[in-house]
Amino acid sequence: MSELLTLSLFFSAIRLATPLIFAALGGMFSERSGIINIALEGLMLAGAFTAAVATFELNNPYLGLLGGVVAGAFLAFIYAVAVIKFEANQVVAGTAINFLMLGLPQLISGAVYDSSGSTPQIAKEFLLPNYYNSVSLASIIAFALIPLCWYVMYKTPFGLRIRAVGENPAAADAAGINVIRLRYTGVILSGILAAAGGAYLSIGQSSLFTRGMTAGRGFIALAALILAKWKPVPVLFACLFFGFMEALTIPLGNIKLASGDPMPVQFIQIIPYVLTIIVLAGFIGLSRAPKALGIPYNKEK
Amino acid sequence: MKSKIGIFLIIVSAFIFSSCGTSTEAQRQCNIRVGIVFDIGGKNDRSFNAAAWEGVQRAERDLKICLYDVEPGNPTSIEPAMRAFAEKDFDLIVGVGFAQGPIMQKVAVDFPKIKFAIVDGVITGKDGKPLENVASLVFREHEGSYLVGMIAAAKSKSGTLGFVGGMDIPLIHKFATGYEEGAKSVNPNARVLTNYVGVTDAAWNNPGKGKELALSQIDQGADVIFTAAGNSGLGAFDAVEQYGKNPQTNEANKFVIGVDSNQNGVKPGFVLTSMVKRVDNAVYDVVNEVLNNKFQGGFHVFGLDKDGVAYSLDDFNKPLIPQEVITKVEDSKKKIVAGEIKVTDAMAK
Repeated sequence: MSELLTLSLFFSAIRLATPLIFAALGGMFSERSGIINIALEGLMLAGAFTAAVATFELNNPYLGLLGGVVAGAFLAFIYAVAVIKFEANQVVAGTAINFLMLGLPQLISGAVYDSSGSTPQIAKEFLLPNYYNSVSLASIIAFALIPLCWYVMYKTPFGLRIRAVGENPAAADAAGINVIRLRYTGVILSGILAAAGGAYLSIGQSSLFTRGMTAGRGFIALAALILAKWKPVPVLFACLFFGFMEALTIPLGNIKLASGDPMPVQFIQIIPYVLTIIVLAGFIGLSRAPKALGIPYNKEK
Repeated sequence: MKSKIGIFLIIVSAFIFSSCGTSTEAQRQCNIRVGIVFDIGGKNDRSFNAAAWEGVQRAERDLKICLYDVEPGNPTSIEPAMRAFAEKDFDLIVGVGFAQGPIMQKVAVDFPKIKFAIVDGVITGKDGKPLENVASLVFREHEGSYLVGMIAAAKSKSGTLGFVGGMDIPLIHKFATGYEEGAKSVNPNARVLTNYVGVTDAAWNNPGKGKELALSQIDQGADVIFTAAGNSGLGAFDAVEQYGKNPQTNEANKFVIGVDSNQNGVKPGFVLTSMVKRVDNAVYDVVNEVLNNKFQGGFHVFGLDKDGVAYSLDDFNKPLIPQEVITKVEDSKKKIVAGEIKVTDAMAK
């Protein structure tokens, strides 16, 4: 067991946790303001695709990242209009966004690059910088975001209002807070952060966009957010937990059982999920969601 | 009411945007009409699907066929695409990838007059005999993998090799076992680390995970990594590139071995060789046979003998492989064709 716990395993865990941290922090701003954000997966895909295309065309990862973030914000705005202005069911609308982003990038990349499967590969020198072959700039930003988000959430009037709006929008409204505007801000912030996490996948960790490349990371981020009880510092630990579990499964694939056969991949891959269920069910106690989560706010009601 | 309109708008837009774009119906002069349905990786995966795409495109240029292609966004849209081709009386329908086997089996039974070809799949009727209207194009991947395994073991300084597979399925096990046997024939103490990206079809499209697997194998000492993982494999290319080149010899520190298409040019200098599967030739030949009324159903097996599988050698990787290694590999190739060396076929077990 000891040879499994190496320094590189630690770095691997950080790399695997990075996109989750971005997306989970994004989800936090949205959900703390009272809007369920099941669309994290789709927002990540929007960020990943746009960042890959922009970086490939402009040969600059920072412009690529910016492009991805703008795309995420725009898509989040569409989602916000649907669920805030039109009071659409948030789970259904979020799922629709996810479906949309399974198809839309393919349609565009099919039209632009004559290939719906993936975008062209980006040369290594135009990817987000990577230090000592282990830590990406994006990972550093992700870690820096944790104290920043904590400060914003707990030490600024904006954070207080977001929290108030998610708990009791009517009271917040009576106190003179613009509930609708705060909720729009929360959702758009979630789009920006989730898209940054997606961009890391396409222009940091790998060098191209392939369809559905988030492979469920948006949902894992959502699980991490719930595990973390919607709080920024626990989000870090929850994401690191998932990242660590995924990193741990890689060397496990080469351990031979007593019979001489390798450990079944299927078994290894369920470990993180089984542990999540155990942790969620037994160890963290009650995970209490913001009270007004999922309930549209309408002044007249 | 407002909410219902919102949901409706989003769902409608989702459907509009996600429906795949198909080729325009042009009124062209065609000898025959060929439809091709790709695997989930899409036709530009620089690997397996790209090879099939190359084959039908060559047929389009040389043989004046009309070519239509579909890249299904998810496994459930494969069958409608295939049926649509069949209902329009196409002369040949090509399915790319093992996943289309059970689907093509159903469609081929329903349309006995239309000719089908499947790459990497074996299709039989209910009685267990091959269907007359389906050509099953299968490859002896284990033989080609044996040869690249020899090259890998000869190149490796550490004696540790890596294998990154896509989805954990018997077809990919064929690559893994052939590679390991080839490596051990050169260096009996060689250690092969084997990892798979996943157990669903998302495993072909997860380059981030592919890279992470490769980095973990490098950390455990691997210096040559063979990928058979579609788009996920490209992550392993990024991983070896990250380890750069030795400044004294100007040779890469870690190498990757490509798969299906010749991937030597994807990251020049970092790709030791590619286990090429001539899907392009196989598909081209089947189109040609349909055109000349020489189509035959049943199994078409492509091994080292017909260059159906091979290791690639071009200007990108010639400086990387010493001549004596090539001589040795060529010798083993002859022995495999002659049956003197038996490579385990993991699917036959």
